[in-house]
This record gives sequence, C-alpha cells and structure tokens, in this order.
Amino acid sequence: VIAPLALLGLLILPIIVAFYMLRLRRRDVPVGSTFLWAQLVRDVEANAPWQRLRFSWLLVVQLLLALLLVIAAARPFVATDAELAANVVLVVDTSASMGAEDDGVPRIEHARRAARGVVDRLPVGGRVTVVAAADSAEVVAAETDDRDAARAAIDGIEATQLPGDMTDAFALASALAARHPDSDVVLVTDANAAQIPGVGVGAPVRVELVGSSDANQAVAALSTRARAGGTELEVFVAVNNPSGADVRRRLELYADGDLVDARELAIPAGQRSEAIVTSVPPAATVVEARLAGSDALAVDDAAFAVVPRSEPVRTLIVGEGNAYLENALALLPRLEVYAVGVQGYAQALADAEDAGTPYGLFVFDRHVPDTPPPAAAIYVGPPDDGEFGTIGEVVDGPAVGRADPAEPLLRYVDLSTVHIGRARTLTPADGVRTVLATPDGLPLVAAGTVGGRDVAVLAFALGDSDLPLQVAFPLLMSNLVDAVAPPAAGYLPPSLALGEPYALRLPASVEAATLVEGDRSTPVSLTAGRGTLPPADSVGVRQLHGGDGTVLGRTAANLFDAAESSVRPGDPARFTELGRQPSAAQAAREPSRTEWWWPLVLLALPLLVAEWLLFHRPSRRAAGRWLRGLRAAMRWPRLGRRAAAPGR
Amino acid sequence: MTSPAARAESPFDEGFLRRLEQLELASRRLTAGRMKGERRSTKRGQSVEFADYRNYAAGDDLRQLDWNVYARLERLFVKLFVEEEDVTVHLLVDASRSMDYGEPSKLVVARRAAGALAYLGLAHLDRVSVAFLGDGRAMPLQALRGKQRIFEIFRFLDAVPRVRATGLAAAARDYAARLRGLGPLVLLSDLMDPGYEDALRQLAATRCQLSVLHVLAPQELDPALPSDARLVDAESEAGVEVTADDDLLERYRERLAAWQAELTTFCARRGGTYVPLATDVPLADLLFDLLRRRGVVT
Repeated sequence: VIAPLALLGLLILPIIVAFYMLRLRRRDVPVGSTFLWAQLVRDVEANAPWQRLRFSWLLVVQLLLALLLVIAAARPFVATDAELAANVVLVVDTSASMGAEDDGVPRIEHARRAARGVVDRLPVGGRVTVVAAADSAEVVAAETDDRDAARAAIDGIEATQLPGDMTDAFALASALAARHPDSDVVLVTDANAAQIPGVGVGAPVRVELVGSSDANQAVAALSTRARAGGTELEVFVAVNNPSGADVRRRLELYADGDLVDARELAIPAGQRSEAIVTSVPPAATVVEARLAGSDALAVDDAAFAVVPRSEPVRTLIVGEGNAYLENALALLPRLEVYAVGVQGYAQALADAEDAGTPYGLFVFDRHVPDTPPPAAAIYVGPPDDGEFGTIGEVVDGPAVGRADPAEPLLRYVDLSTVHIGRARTLTPADGVRTVLATPDGLPLVAAGTVGGRDVAVLAFALGDSDLPLQVAFPLLMSNLVDAVAPPAAGYLPPSLALGEPYALRLPASVEAATLVEGDRSTPVSLTAGRGTLPPADSVGVRQLHGGDGTVLGRTAANLFDAAESSVRPGDPARFTELGRQPSAAQAAREPSRTEWWWPLVLLALPLLVAEWLLFHRPSRRAAGRWLRGLRAAMRWPRLGRRAAAPGR
Repeated sequence: MTSPAARAESPFDEGFLRRLEQLELASRRLTAGRMKGERRSTKRGQSVEFADYRNYAAGDDLRQLDWNVYARLERLFVKLFVEEEDVTVHLLVDASRSMDYGEPSKLVVARRAAGALAYLGLAHLDRVSVAFLGDGRAMPLQALRGKQRIFEIFRFLDAVPRVRATGLAAAARDYAARLRGLGPLVLLSDLMDPGYEDALRQLAATRCQLSVLHVLAPQELDPALPSDARLVDAESEAGVEVTADDDLLERYRERLAAWQAELTTFCARRGGTYVPLATDVPLADLLFDLLRRRGVVT
C-alpha cells in the first residue's frame, strides 16, 4: 500500500454499521396490532449477534463500496519480484528483420509493446535509457525517470532496412550501465543478427525475444556481367528460402523498370535457388529482381544491380614482353590489352592520339618512360626513378610482411606463400602510399595519385619472384587495375552495402553534386572533388548528379544479409551470455510495484448502481408489474397460453 | 326495514339492509325444505320427542321403560327421546381496538357480518345472542327471538363500547360462564391477542358449535410498508421497528399462513370451523360462499 494513511478511511465502516444500528428515524406506521410483527422481529433478534443490527443487503453493499474505495485510495500495489535494476538500458533492435510481420503485426510493434512493458516494470524511481540499434546505435531517450517520455520515445522507434550489428549498441550499453552499480541491459530483439558483439557488458543482459514467423524468402544475390564484348548481358540471381517450408515464388526481372523476365522458382526449405538470365537487354542501366507476392519481410523481396558500362579500357603494356603479365591482364574482361616494345611506345601513343582512341591504362614492365604517360599507369619492377618515387639499391630476398586486412588493394590476395628473390628499394613520391612492405618497412607495393593520375608500382620484377605462379597474381593485378582505372560505372561503385559510407573522388572540376534516391535528393558537399557519400538506409538505386544534371554515377544498395532474411527468432542466449551474472546485491533489490487500484474503482461503479437499486428497492410486485408492462410494450407473444387457447 | 337511526355512521345503512333483504330471500330459496328436519324448534309444541328404542340395561331409568311394549312383547325396552333443543345463535364480536383498523375497519365488517348472521338466525326462528368482547369481559345483549327484533340487535351493534384492551381470554371466559342455550357460536375477531388460544379453548368448552371468523384487513394479509418503519400497535401503542425488506415481508406472510393453519387445526380438533375473512370480501360472498363452504350456515 502506497498511501497507508488512506486506510484510516476504514473507520468509515464501523460508522456505517453504527448508522445502521442507530437508525431511529423510522416512519410511524399505525397497524391494528403488532402481534405478528413482534413475533417475527423476536425471531430475528434471537439470531443476530448484535441486538439491533439486522442483515441487510444494503448494508453489505455499502460496506463493500466503502471498503473498495478506501482500499483504492490507499493505492495498493503488487510487489513484483525484483525484476529490473534501478538503471535500465533498453536496447531495441531496429534491424531489417524487425520490419517483418508476425501474424499481420509488424515485429517492431511487438518490440515496442515489449519495450513499453519493460518501462512499466521499472522499479519505483527507476531510470531508463532507450537505445535504438540497427547497424549502429542511437539513444532515443537518455537516462530518464519520466516513463511517459520513455514510452513516447519507444513509440517513435521504427524498423530500418539495415543489417543488424549489436556491437555499437553493446558498447554504448556497457558504458551507460557502468555509470550505475545497479544496472540491467534489456535487449528487445528477434536475436537473429549475424554480428554478435565481441564485447561483454558489465551488467546483466536480459533479452525480450519478439517474433514468431519464419515465412520469408529473399533475393540473396543479384549481379550482372557483360558477355561477348558487351553485346550480351548476363544476370545472375539467387533466391534464398530460410523458412522451414518448401515454397514456389515467382521471380520477376525488370530492366530500367520494364518487366523483361519472370519465372517460377521452386525453393526447398532452407535452400537457395539460382538463375542465370540472359534475356535482359544489354543497354539496361539498372536491373531489378523482385519476388512477386508477399512474405514476412518485404525489404529483401527486391534487389537492384547497376549494369557496369561496357566500354572497354584500352590498355597498353610497354616492355620486352611478359606472358604472365599479358595473360593476367587479358583475363580482366573490361580491358582491351595491347602490347608494344619500349621503342614503339612513342609511336603507339601518337597513333592512338590520331585515331582518337586514347589508352586508358599503361602498364610498364621493367621500364620507366621519360615523360609520364597521359593516363593511369602501373609500373612493374621499374629500374629507374619515376613519377611514383625514387628507386634505390637492390635488396636480396626480402620477406613479405603482414598484409593489412583492410587494404582494398590486397582483397582476396594471399601473399603469405610468395617469395621474392630480389627487389629494389622504393621511396614513394608524395601522394603515393605503401600497400605492402617487408617486415622492415621497405615498400614492395605502393599506389596513389600523382599529378591527378592514379599510379601503382611493384618494387620487384615479376621474373624475380614466384608471384606470377600463384593464384594471388591475377587477383592482385585485378585489384590494382580497379584502383588505378576504376570500373566504368561512373564515379560510384556498382553496389554499396546498406549503411556503408563511401569516399567520393570526383574530378576537381565538379563543384556540386546531388544524391538522388527515388523522390529524395540530398546535396553532397564537395571539397576539390572530394566528399563523402552518405550511407544508404534503404534498398534501392541511388544516382549522383553533377551540378549540370549529368549523371556522375549510380550505385545500388541491397540487403544481401542471410541473417536478416532469416526472420526466425534466434537464440537469446547468444546475447544474455555476454552479460554479467547479477550480483547478490542486485538479486536482493527492492521489488517493483504495480498498482491495481483501478479495478477496485471499476468494481465500485456497479456496486454503486446496486446500492441505488437496493435503496429504492422496487418491490417484487412492482417489478412484476414493470416486467409485464415491458412485455406488453414489446408485444412479446405469450406462447404458452396462446397455444393452449384453441384446445379449450 | 330502514331505520333512520341506523343510518349515520352505522354499518347497517340503507344499502346494507337492502342487501340483507335480498340475502334473506336468496337464503330462503336456497335453504327451503332443509330447515325442518335439521334444526328442531320448540314451536312444534313438544318439549320431548320420541326418537328410538334400545334394550334395557341395568341402571337405566325405570321411568323410561316402555311398558306398552313390555306388555306386548314381554321384553324391556327403553324409550329414547330427542334432547330438548332450544337453539341459540351466539355471535361474539371482538371490540378491541386492534379491530378498528383497515378501510373499512375490521370492526365494521365484523359488525356487519354479525348483523347479517343475526338476521339469518332470527329469520330461521332461532334465538340470537349478540355480545361484544372487550376489556376482559363480555357485553351481551339478551337473547332475542323473532325477526322483528333485528333492529334491537342492529342498535346494539351500532353502539360499540369503548374498550381499552381486549383481554380476549377473560372476555371469552366471562361469556362462557354466562352462556345460556346451546347452538352455533360464532366468534368474529382478528385474534390479535396473546390469549387467543385460551379464548378459543373457553368457547369450545361450552359444547356450542364453534365457528371462528378471523377478520383481517388486506393490509394485514399482504402488508405494504415503507422500508424502515416503526409499527405502532393500535392497542398498546407500543412500537416495533422493522426494516421491511422483501425477506421480512416474505417471512411475515409465511408466519401468517402458519398461524392460519394452526388456527384451522385448533378449531377442527374441537369440532369447530375456522373461516379467514378478509375485509374486502363482499358480504354476500361471506354468507353464501365462505360460510356455506365451511358449513357454518346451511
């Protein structure tokens, strides 16, 4: 009871009883004789514990009514067991899978309901911080004891289309929980995020698991490839069925908004179905794959791909002839490879100039031209100084150092088994960074921008190492080519992950750019052609427009996230085990209170009506009269009598 | 038939008398031919009348031997005679203050009924004795005979004595002590007196044919009371506080029914008749239906 003083109101009960006992103001009714009445009343008095108190429903109802009201006024509560700490960090998962529907209700709504429930269960004076977390965390209500504010913040939480990653949220929750010794982290989630935070939380973690449905299929992959010299376009689509049932889904392909292909895919439970579609017109710029119909999660039913422009990059290899190099470059589909000896270099340049087909990429094998080439260049084992830097003495047998795993130029490249017999010391020029070095820090591979052109350099000749014999070689060459001569989808990569920002490198002449996504356009601030493309927050194609309206590039954002598409709720223990076991002090925390005075008040209302009715007490006869009148008014047939009448 | 004196405030107003006349005619029609055999009157000129013979037994009064039969048959027979029957109709009206209740009051109804019964009695050539019971004594009018005496009875019934308390038992004892002549004895009372059983016992002991007309007002049969009331006794002016909820009223009705059943048994056991009489029952119904059905009048 919160207001025990109100219990003093219980004193009203004996007062009511006393009124009943003392009720002397009775109307005198003359009767012939009280002979019979006196007998009756004697009977009653002989049985009653109090001499003058007689049983009366009115008294009972009034006592009950008073009791209810007094108890309600005392604000009774139920002490629920110490469930939550005084400081609660409430993390609501807003990753893409929270947009799924469970029985027609968005999962995020279930989550909001659960979160409101957590707020309701807060102990008295408890504080709550509400964090919405998808791939990063956002505090929507900071450490507040205002439950209404917390509930309002919860109501404002919506599901995103981003893949879930609780790392941020857990780091944040950990920091927030550390401020208070008695803290809980409550995570409202469907627990299916792929990324489990690597960090522990210094507080107990509880999980409110939401979600039930698993009936979802997803476009798991979509890519395009030009074939036969750009005259054909091949589209690869994969559809995932993480649900527990075999399904048939209709897959539709759109090229720039027009339906170009549709097919039924039978996908067994937990399997993936793939299709290669060749009927897409090669001139298409954007291909969309869409699953017709509906399933639990709509976001992953569509995926977009930007078709790379199929203009080949004319590439000139300058050197004495290197079969490894030529073969590796010829493998890259977007290169049109030419080779020329050192002597023929100037002539080849002039010919290309005359023909109006300039080279887009130069590869110099053990040669450095006198003047830098007019386009991007890759230098392999340069014997002399060049625009890339200066070349020093010979180093015998340099070891290959650790590769930075985040280095894009070394993506998929395994150099651990590469041996180099001889290299030259390289001092990179300004604007050129070391990509790979020896353990001593001697650069082996470097790349950068010099004079507005992209260059890359290998400090060793291919013949001086076993690199050309390894799988890593064509991959390294592909990465280097991509770095110095970016894919021709404009200035944007064909696809970016949701939530991933991108560093723009536009020609310095571009002064203004606008990012257009559907109807939405966002200006992108540029400084000398550099800027940051804001991360995509929804599936779709975004276009970067220049100041004059030209399209500078397109990029697609897709939720290719198997974990999010598998909307079946995961194992909450994955998260709870990141938390600390509650301490003894926390286990013995003060119980939380749930008040329940309002049902008492609700109960009191019908009692009030009953009291009124009892007081006015229509006699049975009057009630009978009233009923008869009602029946007559409504002309209820009296079946019994009418049926009997003809027989008489 | 109409007496100017009987008009004002009298229960025996013109309308009553007219109804009574009709009743008498109806009564004649209905009862003609039955009268003779059943109630013997002294008018026939004989005070004793032969009824039957029976064998002589030792100890019989020798004066009653029929010597003529002995002479013919040489056997002793005793002559049996019908006992002398001087029928007196006793009408006792409870004049206690509890009777002065209801609209019309129980007392008025009781007096009317007594008047009507008296009229019928006189019309049947019976002696009629009327008395008020009150204050622990009986206030009788001397027994009258002859139809023309009916107005004396009306006048007597009109002048209700003022009584303070009933004392029904004492009054009944008083009347029983002074009783002359046997015959039907009709008590018209509400019996709302603690001594009612004693009174009935006294009256039954007179060997008269006891009939009890239990006069009750409709308000007493099915009371309608305000929920909280103090019931004031008309006699003792003592109050009884009741909370008249449905339950109490129900128990009242049960109690009343039980009481009436008790009275029925009590009277039946003593060869009497119990007739409950609500004051709203028309007089004709009382005389020709209620009383006949119960065998009070024939």
